[in-house]
Amino acid sequence: MEVIMELKICHLYPEVLNLYGDRGNIICMRRRLEWRGIGCSVDLLRIGEKADFTQYDIFFIGGGQDFEQEVLLGDLRDGKDKSLIAAVEDGRTFLTICGGYQMMGHYYETHDGVKCEFLGAVDFCTVGADVRMIDNYCFKLGAESGGSTVVGFENHSGKTYLGAGVNPLGRVIKGNGNNGEDGTEGVRYKNVFGSYSHGPILPKNPQLCDVILESALVRKYGKAELEPLTDSFEVQAHDAVYKMITGA
Amino acid sequence: MFFKKDVLADVSEGMDIIVVTGTNGKTTTANMLESALTESGQKVLANKSGANLLSGVTAEFCCAAGGTGKPSGKIAVIECDEGALKQVVPLIKPKVIVVTNLFRDQLDRYGEVMHTLEQIKTGIEKVPDAVLCLNSGDSLVSSIALGVKNKVVYYGLDMPFGDQNPRVVSDAIHCVRCGAEYRYNFYTYAHLGDFYCPNCGYKRCRPEVAVTSIDQMDADGTDIQLVAGGEEYSARIGLPAIYNVYNAAAAVAAYYAFGSDVGQMIDTLSRIHSSFGRMETFKPGRQPVQMILVKNPAGCTQTIEFLTSLGKDYVLILGLNDRTADGHDISWIWDADYEKFAADPHVLKVYVTGDRAEDMQLRLKYAGLAEDKICLEKRTENLLETMKTSSAPVFVMPNYTSMLELRKLLSDATGAREFWEKQE
Repeated sequence: MEVIMELKICHLYPEVLNLYGDRGNIICMRRRLEWRGIGCSVDLLRIGEKADFTQYDIFFIGGGQDFEQEVLLGDLRDGKDKSLIAAVEDGRTFLTICGGYQMMGHYYETHDGVKCEFLGAVDFCTVGADVRMIDNYCFKLGAESGGSTVVGFENHSGKTYLGAGVNPLGRVIKGNGNNGEDGTEGVRYKNVFGSYSHGPILPKNPQLCDVILESALVRKYGKAELEPLTDSFEVQAHDAVYKMITGA
Repeated sequence: MFFKKDVLADVSEGMDIIVVTGTNGKTTTANMLESALTESGQKVLANKSGANLLSGVTAEFCCAAGGTGKPSGKIAVIECDEGALKQVVPLIKPKVIVVTNLFRDQLDRYGEVMHTLEQIKTGIEKVPDAVLCLNSGDSLVSSIALGVKNKVVYYGLDMPFGDQNPRVVSDAIHCVRCGAEYRYNFYTYAHLGDFYCPNCGYKRCRPEVAVTSIDQMDADGTDIQLVAGGEEYSARIGLPAIYNVYNAAAAVAAYYAFGSDVGQMIDTLSRIHSSFGRMETFKPGRQPVQMILVKNPAGCTQTIEFLTSLGKDYVLILGLNDRTADGHDISWIWDADYEKFAADPHVLKVYVTGDRAEDMQLRLKYAGLAEDKICLEKRTENLLETMKTSSAPVFVMPNYTSMLELRKLLSDATGAREFWEKQE
């Protein structure tokens, strides 16, 4: 009998972490599932709201304004932190962008030395710098994440340094990535995908979107065979930006 | 350009000046004020070209001063960039400062909307004698009144407008004073409406210049009832869409605070048509081509709601560039509700153009628009041909530099005069 597949997405703090077109990632995941006849539901989980995290297959956390980020740290410490760490260890899929990505690490230290404790779900930390890294950029995904090239827009002043045991999401081709120093971009730990690429990241990089969806389908159903889609608009948009950035 | 540091202070000394700042609606509001003042017989200095940084404002005053060292008129209406306000207002000491609204805009330039708010406040603290005209329904703008000495005139809609569902994407969810989540008695558009903070009590002030009803709204304009200084007025605004109702209320408030005759401003509003790409109409062929500048999600979604409410067939041209004046980051297009176009059977065809046309094309696909309705066309001569031969009205929604290009294309083709050649 054909199994009717469905993925449940939890969009965390959409009312606060919604800077820079983040909801485009949700639109993209939903459409690419629907086009393949796979069901998709999205729950918005705001500050103060509780939910059973074991019902979700994918968690999405976007970027936010500094002023609003403080508001949600209190909410995280109110129990969500333990559930999220458990979900990470359980192999559930996370797409985390910019501020949401930083939040998965141990802490954020401002350049005047104030330390803000984060989730610590993945071994990395972020240190504030005085120069903002802002521009179109591109990177090549690691083999475990499919190996395709990703184009995006980065806008962050925090420099992220990965712990010894965790892999970057990819290697910078042009731009800054995690810190502008070691050539790494983002993080890949179990099924956690973290990146500085907002803008949003998925529509122009459909192969990455499919890798993310597959990771959730494999965990839930033990297999994932995503039908190929006609990605002509996606490829056109990807290639136009790639050409603009690299001149190639 | 180099100027003696206080040259702007020297040439503007003794003039009565209105400054307009805020994310959206600066040019339209300033245009309404300038038109009304001009129609009242005054000679008005205005930076019509949109050069609204310190250098542009200084150049405008110096050009007007000519050889005599002083502009011939005594009155100026100056549109000022939010970031430049703190440099400009201490020099020109305006009598009135209007703040239209605060939305996310060109984030890669300013960082974030809270930072923009701080910059505006820094400017206002330097001119305690200026009367502030603040949008009462914008929780960010109205918070400027907290902790400043200036006299304040609030303006805004004193009634709900449009869909009243809670906002999922908003530029101001949390109380600017205490961080609690706002509640609303009603919404008007985006984060604007009758907000209040259940925790600290910060809330909308009832506007002194208040739109109390919207009687009719179509592609050519809007009929409203408005109260100003206790008097009631019926007004026709010669521009469509809800944000122009706010712009009109802002202009009336500024006129009122300036001590001018509100009735005369109401007359002027009916004759206002468009300013520089903001709802300008061209006639290159049989059908009208209407240009509506969009540069951020709030304005864009409002424009989409307006077009999809018309109930008549139309063709769309969406222009997206990513040059410095536009902001290099075009990700805001994912926050605007293009999904409404997909649900509107009156959208016949959508042409996408500009440096980032491919991104716009992709956005429309994911919005649910049929791929065969979307056409990528970067050659402007072909777009012009499309506009000339279209059998349905055409709406062009460009961002800033795309607007400059398309406007030139259309004005060359139709012989329309440049906006700065507009004769009083």
